[in-house]
Amino acid sequence: MKKFISILLLVGVISLTLVGCSGGNSAESKTISFADAGWDSIRFHNAIAGTIAEELWGYSWSEVSGSTPVTHQGLLSGEIDVHMEIWSANIASYDEDLENGRFQLLSSNFDDNNQGVYVPRYVIEGDAERGIEASAPDLQYLWDLKEYSDVFQDDEDPSMGRMYGAIPGWEADQLLNAQFTYHGLDENFIYFRPGSDAALATAITSAYEKGEPIAAYYWEPTWLLGMYDMVLLETKPYDPESFRTGETGFPPVDVTVGASNDFAGNEENAELIAFLSKYETSSALTSEGLAYMQDTGADYVDTAKWFLTQHSELLDQWLEAEDAQAIKDFLNN
Amino acid sequence: MDWLYNFPLKIAIDLESIDNAVKGFSVKYDGFFSIIKKGLSSFVSSINDVLNFIPWFVLIIFVVIVTWRISGKVRNGLLYGLMLLLIGAVGLWTLMIETLSIIIASVIIALLLGFPIGILASASDRFDRIIRPILDTMQTMPVFVYLIPAMMLFGLGKPPAVIATTVYAIVPMIRLTNHGIRQIDKEVVEASLAFGSTKMQSLIKVQIPQALPTIMTGVNQTLMMAMSMVVTTSMIGASGLGMEVLIAVNRVEMGRGLISGIAVVIIAIILDRITQGLIQSSEVGSDGE
Repeated sequence: MKKFISILLLVGVISLTLVGCSGGNSAESKTISFADAGWDSIRFHNAIAGTIAEELWGYSWSEVSGSTPVTHQGLLSGEIDVHMEIWSANIASYDEDLENGRFQLLSSNFDDNNQGVYVPRYVIEGDAERGIEASAPDLQYLWDLKEYSDVFQDDEDPSMGRMYGAIPGWEADQLLNAQFTYHGLDENFIYFRPGSDAALATAITSAYEKGEPIAAYYWEPTWLLGMYDMVLLETKPYDPESFRTGETGFPPVDVTVGASNDFAGNEENAELIAFLSKYETSSALTSEGLAYMQDTGADYVDTAKWFLTQHSELLDQWLEAEDAQAIKDFLNN
Repeated sequence: MDWLYNFPLKIAIDLESIDNAVKGFSVKYDGFFSIIKKGLSSFVSSINDVLNFIPWFVLIIFVVIVTWRISGKVRNGLLYGLMLLLIGAVGLWTLMIETLSIIIASVIIALLLGFPIGILASASDRFDRIIRPILDTMQTMPVFVYLIPAMMLFGLGKPPAVIATTVYAIVPMIRLTNHGIRQIDKEVVEASLAFGSTKMQSLIKVQIPQALPTIMTGVNQTLMMAMSMVVTTSMIGASGLGMEVLIAVNRVEMGRGLISGIAVVIIAIILDRITQGLIQSSEVGSDGE
């Protein structure tokens, strides 16, 4: 009898599960998995592309999280369908993979971004409201830091200054380290590797909240630089001949949109791929979206909808006329 | 059918206020935490200085002799010495010293705190019941959850690395000290009390020596746990071998990752063998009594 009841229960559970599943998947669904490499702007672009794909062609979309190298591997292996922000310079094998056709390059999302060493504005100008005096008033160029090693004191070796470098393994880390030694900052500064994006952001956040001076690598567009008033230390403008030696500044990074071979090769996705191939924004536009999200506390999808109503000209640029109109009608409702 | 799959209860937690509380806390008590930060930092760097002061060949000879004495075989001693030599030969010696100093600092703190806590837990069932879930939390809570606040309070680098490593590695020390003392025969303890020793005397002269092999296993486990945090702590800016592994992994440089990964394994093996020897010698000691 006991056995009978447990079998009955089992059958009941299975049939309930089946009912539930079939309810969810009544329509034939096309899915996109976007890469979520861990920062805000990529999730924002995922939400824009995902919302449009969902509305026009009935895709359901999800995100796969991972670090920069992990999401890139995912794209190569086809577990990630679309990567909205491939920071090409931060992936060692990018050019090689592109050349060997291991993924499809669709478009260049933006390439007008800034990166480099930032200091909070109050370090240079002071902040009367918070009662912070300017501790490094003449700081303008990266090499000016040398004069202020006592301001940016290192925790472990108080005789040196500390400059927070880029995430270990990123191309930016090597280039910044080259600039660091080229300008002789290694004499009285320590190039401190923060280990991860989370650690770097925490270092900046906690220094800023305490009103302490900090000199740290960061990049735009990010919520962090949207939220805190930070100044980028200038370097000599980028020059392709000499940037590797560290004499001149960072090259602009081409942030591209890519799709996996399987996904791009599938005929069913042709319309979506055509749309993504025209996808182009800018660093300023992305920052605008992120700032809105930070101010209002809206989620990514709502921010994406708000963004598309503000910049409907982008829809005309990305989509066929009737599709663009369909999205506009959807947004206006 | 929706009610079957949608959760009926929703509690709105104000996450932002938690964020702000931590930020405000870190600003308000900045002075207090920077004292701890300075203390930890100088603790690690003095260990680092001591290790740096020892010439490389002295350290290798020391390892050869100790492992030889423990295993009783010259061959084993030479093998471990050779492995250590290998780390130096591939140019990872200074990084190894840096990693070792973080490990040693964390393990010392873990032993200093874990041993008395373990004894307390063995003496009081109530205390044991209270700390049990806390210990579980310390081992299973994803590190970054408490590392982010730790970094707000202690900055980046070695101080939060020592804290994270200690939190993770202290657990076996407490558990095995507790377990070691509890498993002693009741009769033995009663006999010692019957012969007129105080509770303290019974603890120090009878219970702890009896429990020593288990406690030493705790020391060994604490060391191994600390070793396993090497790469994780490099993600909060602790330099050393872990950072080398992290850079290699982020750049998909398999060779570099393998070499520095093997160096971590070698250190772990040598530390394991040495502390295994401590377990054996403490077993001999307790048998002799």
